[in-house]
Amino acid sequence: MLKVQDLHVSVFGTPILKGLSLEVNPGEVHAIMGPNGSGKSTLSNVIAGRDGYEVTSGSIEYIGKDLTELEADERACEGIFLAFQYPVEIPGVSNMAMLKAAVNSMRKYRGEDEMSAAEFLQLIKKKAELVQMKQEFLKRSVNEGFSGGEKKRNEILQMAMLEPTLALLDETDSGLDIDALKVVADGVNALRSPERSMVVVTHYQRLLDYIVPDHVHVLANGQIVKSGDKSLALELEERGYGWIEDEVSGLQEAS
Amino acid sequence: MSTVTATPNHQPSWLPSGSAPALRAAPGWFMELQDKAELDYQQLGLPGVRDEQWRYTSLRALKSAELTFATGPLNEAQLPDSDLPRLVFVNGCFNALQSDLAGLPEGLLCTNLANALEHHADRLEKVLGTTLPDAAHGFQLLNSAYCRDGYVLFVEQGTIIDTPIEVIFQNDAGVASHCRNLVVADANSQCTIIERHSSTQPENSHDVYLSNCLTEVVAGQGAHVDHYKLQSESTEAFHLGGIFIDQANSAHVTSHNIGLSGKLLRNDVIARLNGSGSHIEMNGLVLGSDQEHMDNHTEVVHAVPNCTSDEFYKTVLDDHSRSVFRGRIIVAQDAQQTNADQQNNNLLLSPDAEADTKPQLEIYADDVKCSHGATVGQLEQKSLFYLQSRGINLEAARALLTFAFANEVVERIKVDSIKQELTQLIAGELMNDIEGVL
Ligand SMILES: Nc1ncnc2c1ncn2[C@@H]1O[C@H](COP(=O)(O)OP(=O)(O)OP(=O)(O)O)[C@@H](O)[C@H]1O
Ligand SMILES: [Mg+2]
Repeated sequence: MLKVQDLHVSVFGTPILKGLSLEVNPGEVHAIMGPNGSGKSTLSNVIAGRDGYEVTSGSIEYIGKDLTELEADERACEGIFLAFQYPVEIPGVSNMAMLKAAVNSMRKYRGEDEMSAAEFLQLIKKKAELVQMKQEFLKRSVNEGFSGGEKKRNEILQMAMLEPTLALLDETDSGLDIDALKVVADGVNALRSPERSMVVVTHYQRLLDYIVPDHVHVLANGQIVKSGDKSLALELEERGYGWIEDEVSGLQEAS
Repeated sequence: MSTVTATPNHQPSWLPSGSAPALRAAPGWFMELQDKAELDYQQLGLPGVRDEQWRYTSLRALKSAELTFATGPLNEAQLPDSDLPRLVFVNGCFNALQSDLAGLPEGLLCTNLANALEHHADRLEKVLGTTLPDAAHGFQLLNSAYCRDGYVLFVEQGTIIDTPIEVIFQNDAGVASHCRNLVVADANSQCTIIERHSSTQPENSHDVYLSNCLTEVVAGQGAHVDHYKLQSESTEAFHLGGIFIDQANSAHVTSHNIGLSGKLLRNDVIARLNGSGSHIEMNGLVLGSDQEHMDNHTEVVHAVPNCTSDEFYKTVLDDHSRSVFRGRIIVAQDAQQTNADQQNNNLLLSPDAEADTKPQLEIYADDVKCSHGATVGQLEQKSLFYLQSRGINLEAARALLTFAFANEVVERIKVDSIKQELTQLIAGELMNDIEGVL
């Protein structure tokens, strides 16, 4: 589904990703962990197509297509969804208005008719229930004045509405209280299917108790330096990142 | 040493040759008023770029336009799809056949100026022309000198008109028209007026014409007047407009000044708060594109204590369009306890668009609350990316964000049909069925 090969990315001229490779197959959940500033959000953003994130070499292939050829909105229409680490506040545009525009824009892209107002309303109500979001939030401006946790929950609502094929969740768990974490995890798990893949960026093993990953990767200094199964996350929780960095520099010295 | 040579005042082709054709049965005082304005105009001429208030506004194209002074309607107006009571003016003259005032209550006089001069001259004499600025500029003088028609609304004491009255102003290509309108709302009366300005041929949006149209509003004690002015002129048309408002004690006036299209739109909006407890709300929305130029010069005069003013103008400019906003607030020495707010926010959608904003506060009293703010900005990249990452294409994302910007002014509109019309215009289908569904 997603094949990232030897990816080098500069953000406004500064090299951030330095030869990152990652392959995600349909139905898989991959967790990416790693120290602050290692490039996790950069990876999510470059896959989602943010301006200013320049691929200097390497490739990103998604369902057989060269992603770098597509605009951000086209990538979304192709089924990529990014839950932002820092969701953006958009005063004056209601959640409803944004999601209606999004749903219909995607339908248009696929050559389908617009969703009727009644159908849309029914759908959004159902999805809001799924993430236990009160209806009043639907009328409010996108993320404006939302608490940190409410913003994250809103990202999951959007994901539930748009039903992506590849979801990138960038620290969706940070800032969530214990109950909200469960709600968000349930929302994510409800979307798990053999066709849908997820890349979950997190700092905390706790999330992975709820969203159990097939693979865990450590991203450090712009590269994936270690991969394993869910037990790697437990090990990281216990030992931190220092030992991996030592391992990596040991390897580099040896070679 | 440089010398400044005064260029002789160039006279545009579209002034009436000789003196204007006289109005049938106009009273003597009105003829005198017109004669005096004509003389004053001959002294002053049209403004030029040397005039501070016209510095950014080129009149060259207007001055050299081939237009003729309008003497009557040629085409019929194309009427909007509404069943409001309405008055229709084509080329500055009343079109009685297309007007329909059925459904208006008792206690008011709603007619056209030519008719009012014939049958209600004494009521007009006391007010007509009294709200114009002392230092009127050339276009305003021309309007006084050559106006022949316009709408006249007298609302008697305590009369409340629930339904808005719609006034249609349309012009043919090649015409210069000068309408003068008058609204007199007596004590505790209420009314809503919607002015719509456009070409008679909306499908041919390139007609060249001049609409020089002034509206006077005199609001009596406790009167409520809501005035809407929607300008969807042809993209080659010139619109020189004025809204002059005088308010007595506790009068409450709202002016919505909405510039949607036109080669050059300029409005002077002046409110004088002459009675304690009066309140003026000035809302403005400008949507410029292509080479359009849209100016608003506003002035609020706090002449007495305890009045409030709330001014909120927003501008959205695309392509090579330009705008000027000048917001003057004058608080007289004894106008204590004044509360005045003015905001002007400009959104530039193109690197070639230019917005000039100029707040001018002149405060001579000491116990006042005056605030103002002016901003010029662009759409935020991070918001655009957020919307795009949800599958919304760039064009729709821009429309959504532009709508969000403009909507703060649109929200202040109390007539739902206008609100919907503007929402549709700015956001297209994006906002359909959004409101009221939950
Ligand atoms: N616009 C930018 N200009 C310059 N440097 C940037 C820019 N954006 C990101 N960076 C840098 O890129 C590096 C990687 O940032 P990124 O946000 O991808 O880290 P992260 O792994 O997501 O960290 P965290 O765990 O703190 O979220 C950081 O050092 C950051 O300062
Ligand atoms: Mg990050």
